[in-house]
Amino acid sequence: MKKFFLPFLVTMVFLFESVFVELFSEKWFQSYLFVPRFLLVVLVFVTIFVGQTDGMMYGFLFGFLYDIVYTEILGVYAFIFTIVAYLTAKAMKIFHTNSFTASFLALTAIVFVEFYVYGIQLIVGGTTMTFSAFLNDRLFPTVFVHTILVLLFAYPLKQKLLQWTAYRREN
Amino acid sequence: MPQFFLNKRLILLLVSIIILVALIGFSLKDRQHLTWPEKFVKDAVVFVQSLVHQPAQLVAGFFENVNDLRNTYEENKRLKARLEKYVLLETEVQSLKKENEQLRELLDKKESLRDFVAIQATVIGRNPDRWQEMLIVNKGEQHGVKKDMAVITPRGLVGKVRSVSPFSSNVQLLSALDRKNRISAFVQGKENVFGLIEGYDAEREALLLKRIPYDAKIKKGQNVLTSGLGGIFPKGLVIGKVMDVVPDEYGLTQIVYVKPAANFYDIDDVIIVKRKIDELQEEEEKR
Repeated sequence: MKKFFLPFLVTMVFLFESVFVELFSEKWFQSYLFVPRFLLVVLVFVTIFVGQTDGMMYGFLFGFLYDIVYTEILGVYAFIFTIVAYLTAKAMKIFHTNSFTASFLALTAIVFVEFYVYGIQLIVGGTTMTFSAFLNDRLFPTVFVHTILVLLFAYPLKQKLLQWTAYRREN
Repeated sequence: MPQFFLNKRLILLLVSIIILVALIGFSLKDRQHLTWPEKFVKDAVVFVQSLVHQPAQLVAGFFENVNDLRNTYEENKRLKARLEKYVLLETEVQSLKKENEQLRELLDKKESLRDFVAIQATVIGRNPDRWQEMLIVNKGEQHGVKKDMAVITPRGLVGKVRSVSPFSSNVQLLSALDRKNRISAFVQGKENVFGLIEGYDAEREALLLKRIPYDAKIKKGQNVLTSGLGGIFPKGLVIGKVMDVVPDEYGLTQIVYVKPAANFYDIDDVIIVKRKIDELQEEEEKR
């Protein structure tokens, strides 16, 4: 059973994003758009603590699922999740591997992806949101909530992933 | 220059950007159907998601119930007051319905744009990236859902079906920005005023009803309903109430701000609506 821990975790996080938005999309989230990017955080952690190939593979696979099932614009997330995993692996050559740098990189990745998707939506004509509205109503709340969540979950997530990597190496 | 092209990673990046642009172009053109791999993947994910959704719904439902209990007394008072009015209205509706039927029989006109078949569906997910407001519901082609059908909640119209796969479909909410998303509607009054719902003002949280003649007199609080003239939606679905009327940028027509009757944020169950008139026509074509 332990063998399937990582795929199971990533799948659950992927599904939970959608369920989360559906259940907690009340008034409070309306004036401040909070966008769940839990999957991205997990992907960055996987890249750092499990391996670059794993990160890129999961990034591409689940990015593509995200495109097909949720947004219906193919390729957007498959591309960026893979790129993020690759860049994270490159960045880790400069940083020390610990949960703080991982959290920092995860938050940077969120900002990066938000800007990228905003750009694509502008080109495609999917939004008329102004840049300042994007910053104030969307980006800042998202980063704020994720900062809290990442600080809470970074350490346990890192431990779990390291355990799993050790387990895989043994077998 | 040759060195530049020898860099394998750069070439890979360029190729993937080209593929990305091609894929985006492919998915943005006006598609009537999804490709079969998309349908397959979607149904598989939706199946798993519906399993995850139920326990999550239970937990969220518990907190909602606790919240509801706090307001019960106030609500009960208000509802009792309304109940008496409701009885009067009910009898009036009954007699009007009967009269309508009799008149229809006199005219020998059996079908109407108003009649529809309802397909009940449960919402099991929402687009988490929140650029396009979309819902995922658990009914699809197998249950008779087709692209562009109207989607309502008991309170009013919420959106239309954007894409279908065999066992699930995506619903685009009215608040989503889509230039192709036009709904023929009218303002109910002594004389009905017809226009088109085009777009959504996120700041004022209002739908825009455009192409209203400049001399039409519209007051705040009037009801806005679907007209059924667009070809897909039935007639008489509630959209909302008039909030504000302003002249458009050239002064030739007016724009009406419509406050949607349905809540776009708290949707658990929806009804997908199919016009009866279309069903009759389909049957005739089959014969």
